[in-house]
Amino acid sequence: MSVPDYMQCAEDHQTVLVVVQPVGIVPEDQFFKIYKRIASVSQVSIRDSQRLLYIRYRHHYLPENNEWGDFQTHRKVVGLIAVTTCGSSKEWPQTSERFHGQKEVYGSTLYDSRLLVFGLQGEIAEQQRTDVAFYLNFDECPDVEKRVEDFVESIFIVLESKRLDRATDKSGDKIPLLCVPFEKKDFVGLDTDSRHYKKRCQGRMRKHVGDLCLQAGMLQDALVHYHMAVELLRGVNDFLWLGAALEGLCSASVIFHYPGGTAGKTAGRKPNISQPADAGKRHRPGAQEVLIDPGALTSNGISADTSTEIGRAKNCLSPEDIIEKYKEAISYYGKYKNAGVIELEACVKAVRVLAIQKRAMEASEFLQNAVYINLGQLSEEEKIQRYSILSELYDLIGFHRKSAFFKRVAAMQCVAPTIPEPGWRACYKLLLETLPGYSLSLDPKDFNKGTHRGWAAVQMRLLHELVYASRRMGNPGLSVRHLSFLLQTMLDFLSDQEKKEVTQSLENYTSKCPGGMEVITLPDGLKLPPVPFTKLPIVRSVKLLNLPVSLRPHKVKGLLGQNMSTASPFIYSPIIMHNRGEERCKKIDFQWVQGDVCEVQLMVYNPMPYELRVENMGLLTSGVEFESLPAALSLPAESGLYPVTLVGVPRTAGNITVNGYHTSVFGVTSDCLLESLPGVKTGGCLVEVIPSLPRLQLSTSLPRSAHTPQPMSKEELSSTVSVQLFNGETQQLTITLENIGTEDIETLELTSKTVTTKEKVFGEFLSWELEEALSHLPLKPGQSVTLTVNIKVKLDFSGQENLLQDLNDDGISVTGLPISSPLRQVLKPRAETKPVSSESGKAEYNHIKTLEAVLNFKYSGGAGKVEGYYRDLSLGVHVDVEPSVFFTRVSTLPATRRGGEREAMRLRRYR
Amino acid sequence: MAVCIAVIAKENYPLYIRSVPTQNELKFHYTVHTSLDVVEEKISAVGKAMADQRELYLGLLYPTEDYKVYGYVTNSKVKFVIVVDSSNTSLRDNEIRSMFRKLHNSFTDVMCNPFYNPGDPIQSKAFDGIVSGMMVQPS
Repeated sequence: MSVPDYMQCAEDHQTVLVVVQPVGIVPEDQFFKIYKRIASVSQVSIRDSQRLLYIRYRHHYLPENNEWGDFQTHRKVVGLIAVTTCGSSKEWPQTSERFHGQKEVYGSTLYDSRLLVFGLQGEIAEQQRTDVAFYLNFDECPDVEKRVEDFVESIFIVLESKRLDRATDKSGDKIPLLCVPFEKKDFVGLDTDSRHYKKRCQGRMRKHVGDLCLQAGMLQDALVHYHMAVELLRGVNDFLWLGAALEGLCSASVIFHYPGGTAGKTAGRKPNISQPADAGKRHRPGAQEVLIDPGALTSNGISADTSTEIGRAKNCLSPEDIIEKYKEAISYYGKYKNAGVIELEACVKAVRVLAIQKRAMEASEFLQNAVYINLGQLSEEEKIQRYSILSELYDLIGFHRKSAFFKRVAAMQCVAPTIPEPGWRACYKLLLETLPGYSLSLDPKDFNKGTHRGWAAVQMRLLHELVYASRRMGNPGLSVRHLSFLLQTMLDFLSDQEKKEVTQSLENYTSKCPGGMEVITLPDGLKLPPVPFTKLPIVRSVKLLNLPVSLRPHKVKGLLGQNMSTASPFIYSPIIMHNRGEERCKKIDFQWVQGDVCEVQLMVYNPMPYELRVENMGLLTSGVEFESLPAALSLPAESGLYPVTLVGVPRTAGNITVNGYHTSVFGVTSDCLLESLPGVKTGGCLVEVIPSLPRLQLSTSLPRSAHTPQPMSKEELSSTVSVQLFNGETQQLTITLENIGTEDIETLELTSKTVTTKEKVFGEFLSWELEEALSHLPLKPGQSVTLTVNIKVKLDFSGQENLLQDLNDDGISVTGLPISSPLRQVLKPRAETKPVSSESGKAEYNHIKTLEAVLNFKYSGGAGKVEGYYRDLSLGVHVDVEPSVFFTRVSTLPATRRGGEREAMRLRRYR
Repeated sequence: MAVCIAVIAKENYPLYIRSVPTQNELKFHYTVHTSLDVVEEKISAVGKAMADQRELYLGLLYPTEDYKVYGYVTNSKVKFVIVVDSSNTSLRDNEIRSMFRKLHNSFTDVMCNPFYNPGDPIQSKAFDGIVSGMMVQPS
């Protein structure tokens, strides 16, 4: 016997084995449909006695295993149900022949057999035969179950007669020696008359009778027989059979203690069977019903009288003893190399019992032992089966890690290099089952809470194996998903070299099958959630940017909808402080405008040891139709914080929420939602988008300048013009206003504001005629209108006290002192004396005065106007005013000199 | 002498794991990881009965073909696992105990470090030194 049945459990000892096999050509699915119906008859209560017969069905059973039937009768095939199809009566003899051939295989042990024939019509089918049933087709066989029950009853009759036969063997008959296949040659030439031999025969027979009693539903009798067998066999040191007797004792006790069965859910018994309390009662009547000849037993040299023992609970082992006896039995089995399968199966049975008793430690010892049982050369398939069952049993006793370990070993065995056709699919499936054991879920959300804590080394190994298996399965989508998961969750544990390798293979895979955000559903229903690369790059902060000043919308005051102070009647309430959780999504107090480019600034960094190329990075928004304009960026290795601006255009009005961003890295597209990102700073991500407004661009006839009027910041002005004028001069400034937006400009207002100066300005500095321009309204997109602004400067340059003195460089007092100085020195270098003039350039002369003003264009139109918004465009005007007349020198001549020189003035014009 | 020493947090993830460098490191990860099943079983078995005067030393967790795995659980449920070579028969139970005690003392020192965040991987050099002293010296 070489193939263990890992699914065996203690209560299988009370079942009778029936093999159901197809004969000839039977469609597989039809056969299994019938098999299922037959197998549903797993217990039959026998008429006239209150006993239950349990049946174990197999559709495949090695005749080799059948040879161990004497050792443990539940291994013996006692019934055969053959299923066959037969088209015509001509085929019938052949079919019949085949059936008999099939019977031959198990012939030595069969009690009875049945043939189910499908498809045959005619006179043969009308015969009434007990061993053959005819059905028209596979769908019309309503009495299959009934047939099977009858069949089981007939088996019971044989079983019962055998039991009685064996139990009441007369002393005169020689008790035959039962033996297992490998013992046969050992007993050749043994003295069959020795006491020792006789005892051995008796012991083995007792054990056999115990088995039969157990199968026949007489638990108490079985216990008694097993007890006697143990004593007999112990006396003759027949260890293999002693082990079997002990195991029988254990099985019977387990059946008594755990009527629900030990096989777990998979092979659960019907719940209507007896409770432990009445188990004894139920068996007793059956036992009494059968006549036991006490005399026969005693005269046979077997001392105890079973009838007196019946019902005594002391025959039944206590739960602790069951384990002790199992241990003993297994140690006896262990003495025989050829009984490896028996030993292994006993271990498995004991573990199932221990699992029910919740004694995991001892169960693990049994399993540990089972691991070391050598069954000789196992085929790869058997190895897989063995590891899988070990894993299952470890799981049963709550050793999930150990279970995962063996499952992984089984998975690796599926694809061992010695296998010609590696089962990558099976390997992958098994690997997936190990995930819980390594406390690894495939949902990246579970890894968002700070640093990952787990068995990174083994988890990474497992993920690598999943990647590899899924690739070999020919499912690159899965490999990409697993590899992305590995990269995303285990990034902190990967060495630089590994990071490189992982990303390289990821790029390889994605070239065939790009990774996306869809949930991958496996055939067995497991869902693999998408893995967004939130760490490639890592985003530290997200900030929504306001529009440039010239494009910012303003609300017309006085209109309704001043949305302040409507939320609460209180100016301040501490309760608001508690709403911190919503902080992330609080509304930002500026607006975006429909149709205008809006910006969001992210601070990102690259944790990889090499350059990271991020493609197609854009914003994810909700609430408003938003056209994201993706960007591509390349981040240097281990970069510091790096600002990235993502832009987009809202296409409708309303409240827009920036939920996150999407990227494409290594060919994997990811949608990263801000709420699932730890440690991201945002200043709120909800912004109101107001309906579209027109856009105005202005150009002027005058050159631009870098000057900015003082109280204003540079951003506030769209542009500044600058001009130099002489005092009193007028200059025309032509402003061309062009509508570069998409909305009509419906209103235009122009105001000016002179930046406060100390200078006194005479007259109007800036003046314009707006009517002409307004007559062009509404201004269609692309159209332009010109507007002329007159710049007129009139300043007072007089009254500077020391002007004359300054100019009078003769040193001659202008106050009229009569100083005669014919030898006038020309031009003392003034530069030294006057600090003001020390400035270079134009400012050399401090006579230039500056006038600045801001021209403010308020315009509106389109849907935004309806909502009461307008835009503001400012033009700075910077005028340097020079005096039109300049006294460069003043000389005074004494008035006494007649006909002399007159006061001389030199005028100089600067240009 | 040990071939692998591991410290495992209350939540059953490794705080520290070191094996003899010449050996296959991953194998020890598996060994220690699976030994946690036994540790948990042992703790839960004792847990209800006498949680207070529980013995910290758990003894032999399980033998494998090549190694013996010993366990120790502090009162704060931090686990120490020591793996020794099965061929090393000279090692007595008492010596294992004293190794665990030494490990525990050193671990306490690590925990006393105000800059150490409980739950973070142990990077202390002093602890490393103690562990090195208990490991088989690669020859």
